[in-house]
Amino acid sequence: MTRETDDSTRLVAKMLGIELHEMPKASCCGAGLLTDYDYPLYIALNARIFAEAEAMGMDILTICSTCLMVMSTANRDLKRDPKLLDETNGVLSRTGLGYSGKVEVKQLLWVLAGDYGLENLKRQVKRPLHWIKAAPFYGCHSLRPSDALGFDDPEKPWSLEATIKALGAEPVEYRGKTKCCGFQVDLVAEKTAEKMTAVRLLDGKSKGANCFVTPCPFCHINLDNYQRLAEKTVDKKIEMPVFHLSQLVGLALGLTPGALGLGRHLVSPEKVVR
Amino acid sequence: MKIKFLIRRYNPADGEAPEPYYQAYSVEVSEGMTVLEALLKISEEEDPTLSFRRSCRSAICGSCAMTVNGFARLTCSLQVLPEYKKMGEMTIEPLANHRPIKDLVVDMEPFWSKIDKASPFLTPTEESINNPVTTEAQALIDDSQRCIMCGCCNAECNSLEIDGHFIGPAASAKAWRFVGDVREGQQGRRLAKLSEEHGVWDCVRCIHCSQYCPKDVKPLKQIELLRSAAMRHGILDNPGAKHVDAMADSVERVGRLDEAAMTFKTLGFLRSIGMIPMGIKLELHGKMPHPYLIPQIEKIDEVRKIYGEMDRKAGRKPRKKEE
Repeated sequence: MTRETDDSTRLVAKMLGIELHEMPKASCCGAGLLTDYDYPLYIALNARIFAEAEAMGMDILTICSTCLMVMSTANRDLKRDPKLLDETNGVLSRTGLGYSGKVEVKQLLWVLAGDYGLENLKRQVKRPLHWIKAAPFYGCHSLRPSDALGFDDPEKPWSLEATIKALGAEPVEYRGKTKCCGFQVDLVAEKTAEKMTAVRLLDGKSKGANCFVTPCPFCHINLDNYQRLAEKTVDKKIEMPVFHLSQLVGLALGLTPGALGLGRHLVSPEKVVR
Repeated sequence: MKIKFLIRRYNPADGEAPEPYYQAYSVEVSEGMTVLEALLKISEEEDPTLSFRRSCRSAICGSCAMTVNGFARLTCSLQVLPEYKKMGEMTIEPLANHRPIKDLVVDMEPFWSKIDKASPFLTPTEESINNPVTTEAQALIDDSQRCIMCGCCNAECNSLEIDGHFIGPAASAKAWRFVGDVREGQQGRRLAKLSEEHGVWDCVRCIHCSQYCPKDVKPLKQIELLRSAAMRHGILDNPGAKHVDAMADSVERVGRLDEAAMTFKTLGFLRSIGMIPMGIKLELHGKMPHPYLIPQIEKIDEVRKIYGEMDRKAGRKPRKKEE
């Protein structure tokens, strides 16, 4: 649903000199749902993804926070529990695969704020976004469980705010930035999902944000695609443009709204793009 | 070191100031001092009107849970200095998602009624009562048994923040304590009840409960175990289980998340029709997911082999293939 995340990430990576390699065999991580279905199956399918990366001699970059959380949690369990790793490898060996436990999983935000470095990013900015007041929306799965993720601090995260600043924009402080968008129950408990989305958007809006930015495409689905439903639930106009992290970076690097797929958003970001 | 504590005060019986307000106290804090010790110091030396619950001071009784700098913490096991150093402030409020009664004391009644709903006692049959509790059987429910009912998880629960009727993480973990017990005899009845509206499928997987549980009960893990058990018991006629089932199907079929097929399978025919206006908006923005058009991943046979192997291990019937 959010192909523009993929497109804009590839463009931005290319401009920054970050080389991406496809993983054509990688399956869906299960998004947490396969964890509910059958834990050993979830672990084995994710170990198969890690095995592919290991064979490529690379770590994994994902553009989705839920993939990040689901894969990192599986990776944590496999690294922590030699018996689980052993049993999982027993299953993988039926397909001629194996995983030794050496792969790391990262998301774009961490690569920018960590590996690439925000000083380097700053140097690449062609058009500082000084008119943008962005509410950083981490979403749950960039921050928790912290014993599986580890990069940022779940109570006092910094990476998204620091990235926004590096792009010349101003981050807005609000309580909901580390909370949930409701995506996981969109089809299960719609009222909860819609109201949650509305509460988060209104929270950031009340603190003066003129847009939201999120590293997670699932959060984007709720904050943008479902914003009209959220408005109906609370009977309030919200009208809040929401950027994927890669799009905000792309704007600062001088990419056009068209190239970044901003026209695909349901809430038009036109008024904050210039 | 002197540290400013900003504490939310509230006394509805106070005729002059019945509304909540924040009061600052300056506390001399020593190395190793806990937040609870600082509160006791305030109440003993400065302001005896400050109300809060506490008892054991050893992270056993579960009385002293509060919101510290925005997150639910057991104040007797949280030291002031590292917390202050990290957060740059020391703001104490009552537990979120609970009605404050006075100052930092909240009404725990809804918490207990949720626990009650989970029937927190064994209901064995004449046969099941004789099942031996082996070390392995015990390990299944170990995490859930560590709960001290402090309320941190319910206070942090994002689903409960929005829907007060949601069963919540504490009662879910308690439910697994009994569903997962080898001596229990009513698993099916319990799981059917837990699968109803506002039950375990309404969890939004925000992971706050497991992150902030001071006893590492991992409530989300227990919710996942309940969901798996419910599906194994054939309790599939609800949106949550259908959604998971659709995912299991989608990954085995194409290796990917087939958004359109999953929506249809979760909602069913009638509710999917309700999604048409939304679908048209999505289509206009090039966002409408089209079912059964997404390409398979490479080597999908490996994924299917893993499914087959895991079906065999779990004693599960292989899924029907829709080719």
